Amino acid sequence: MFAILSSLSHHRRLLRDFVSRDLRARYVGSSMGFFWSVIFPVVNLIVYMFVFQIVLNARWSPEQTPSEVALLMLSGIIVWQCFAETISRCTNTLAENQNLIQKVVFPAEVLPVYLTISALINMLIGVLIAELGVAWFAYIAPSAVHAATTEGTTTVVRPLALGASLVTLPVLMVLQATFTLGLGYFLAAFNLFLRDVYHVIGVAMSVWMFMTPIFYPAEKVKEAELTWVLMINPMYWLIDSYRRVLIYGEWPQPLTLAVFGAVALVAFFLGSRFFMAQKARFPDLL
Amino acid sequence: MNTAAVPAAQPTNRASGAGTSAILCRGLGKAYRMYQKPIHRVWELLVPGLSKHTDFWAVRNVYLDIAPGSTVGIIGENGAGKSSLLKLLTGITRPTEGEVFVNGRVASLLELGAGFHPEFSGRDNIHLNCSILGMRPEEIDERFPKIVEFSELGDFIDRPVKTYSSGMYVRLGFSVAASVDPDILMIDEALSVGDEHFRGKCINRLNELREKGKTIVFVSHDMGAVKTMCEWVVLMDKGEVVGQGSAEKVADEYLKRAHERGNQRLSAFNRGGSTYPRWGSGEIEVHQVELLGAGGAPTHVFRTGDPFTVRMRFKTHRAGARQPVFGLGIYRSDGTHVNATNHSWRREPIVLDEFRPGEEGVAEVSLPALPLLVGQYYLTSYLYDHSKAAPTPIDQQEHVVTFEVIDADRRQHGMIHLPTEWRVGWTGPERKEERESRA
Repeated sequence: MFAILSSLSHHRRLLRDFVSRDLRARYVGSSMGFFWSVIFPVVNLIVYMFVFQIVLNARWSPEQTPSEVALLMLSGIIVWQCFAETISRCTNTLAENQNLIQKVVFPAEVLPVYLTISALINMLIGVLIAELGVAWFAYIAPSAVHAATTEGTTTVVRPLALGASLVTLPVLMVLQATFTLGLGYFLAAFNLFLRDVYHVIGVAMSVWMFMTPIFYPAEKVKEAELTWVLMINPMYWLIDSYRRVLIYGEWPQPLTLAVFGAVALVAFFLGSRFFMAQKARFPDLL
Repeated sequence: MNTAAVPAAQPTNRASGAGTSAILCRGLGKAYRMYQKPIHRVWELLVPGLSKHTDFWAVRNVYLDIAPGSTVGIIGENGAGKSSLLKLLTGITRPTEGEVFVNGRVASLLELGAGFHPEFSGRDNIHLNCSILGMRPEEIDERFPKIVEFSELGDFIDRPVKTYSSGMYVRLGFSVAASVDPDILMIDEALSVGDEHFRGKCINRLNELREKGKTIVFVSHDMGAVKTMCEWVVLMDKGEVVGQGSAEKVADEYLKRAHERGNQRLSAFNRGGSTYPRWGSGEIEVHQVELLGAGGAPTHVFRTGDPFTVRMRFKTHRAGARQPVFGLGIYRSDGTHVNATNHSWRREPIVLDEFRPGEEGVAEVSLPALPLLVGQYYLTSYLYDHSKAAPTPIDQQEHVVTFEVIDADRRQHGMIHLPTEWRVGWTGPERKEERESRA
């Protein structure tokens, strides 16, 4: 693990080149470049809103306004997309860059890292949109006070807010990167042993996405007494923490963060170990 | 892991000079694991001690000691293990057995467009390659204009390299590899792709590096190229070094092997049922075409200047052909028509009468000295009836036999050896002298 960190710091210039080139390819390559990064999350949001809210009529809770639900979904989507995109690109990255691995002495450990960093930077655009939405609905055009009190229950309405807790955003992103990289390293190396991994990952990621409360409230899962599904899903812990910070201006729960951090470190340790142990064989496996 | 015993004390041949080695290999070997099914790799990974592969030794028992400042050629047929050896020397792959030591910064140019990211622009790839070679940012900025200038890519430098032609690939690759000022430069065949102009530039640059005392390793299957470039040649066959020494010494050994190999390969090819067109009325059949070399020995590999004889054996099946004429066409493997000849269209033609059924015979054409230069060639045999205004085919066979011309001397380039005479003279008042060379 330390070997990998020192190699990464040694190749930071190379890493920077890769990240900047990847970002340029995202934004400069196509004519609408930058806007795609804005449009994709929004279009996704509209599609999922349509399917879940209107077609399936899946209500979150009565005290949540449509705008709040939209922002919750949006924040979930951008975090998930960043994670899923990185995992799927990592899985294929060695095969894709075989020209570099087979023909020059190349630090392959740079590849998953640049994909992760590039995706996180791209995610920031989505975060910005979500925060603009929060600011709009919380301060500029607050929606009418909803009928939370009609049933006489004592449900607490969580107000939308931008708060000081935003300073924890970098922490969340670093933890997310650590977790993503752990999986990414493992899958990148394992894909060389079995190329089917790349195809399996596509399916696995969409199963995982629907097991994570992104388009439906976590409460529904708890009501169905399937809480364990949430308990074993690190991505739920992560997305929940993001939502606290981004949508409600609350501080993330320390315990959740600590557990996620531990899982992320273990994943990174195991993944990078496997990757580095097999690294010498990459040119032969390709 | 396979740990076959390595001979303890093998005498190592030295390329030249004294001092510490630039490259040192001791009992170097590389085995690639071959699996019947991809899943077997996973079983091996999961179950310790399980072995489901067979080893394929691409390189084995290689002892090399290359002194700094020498230019070394590695030569061998396709699949002899040259490229695998080079990958071991550059450190891209790790040896299965033995050791390799390399002193100094290595820049390598393996195959076409190696080490390029196809989506990156030429500019990005230069940066990428320089970073990989361990150059500091200031160094890269300093060398960058020189590299671009040397590559002569012009505006293409900002386009993705996937849009480059193969020549442009090589230009970019060579420019980077040669401009980073490596201690050791390794080049694999790549130069053969560039055009004459760029190849000339490359050779100049290589000579510069050589004068600066850099080590150059040059891999090729072209004996001529290696001979002009390298003072020390390593000959590889089936993954092993079968000879090393001065270029002249190894060239002979190489040609001998090429001769044997070529004969085996070509005779196997020539024996196979022909899939090339054959047509004619069929009264007479040319049922065998033989090639004879020096001393009348059958062969399929010739050197430029060797005696060359083609013998066509024929058999008459039925009467009808009234004035048969045998002919022969020589083509280069790319289809270039080199020559066609027959025994009728000559100053003293041979005119044949009608053949009777069952009669057999031989038609032979020979050249005292084959003027063809290095390459692959094939023959087409003609048998036409010239009794009519327009000759009609009796038996024409395209591509009836294949042969190869090899040449270590490379005194001339092109397709045909021309007997040339050279005269160089001074005409000024100070000096009046003429030198002459006939060949």
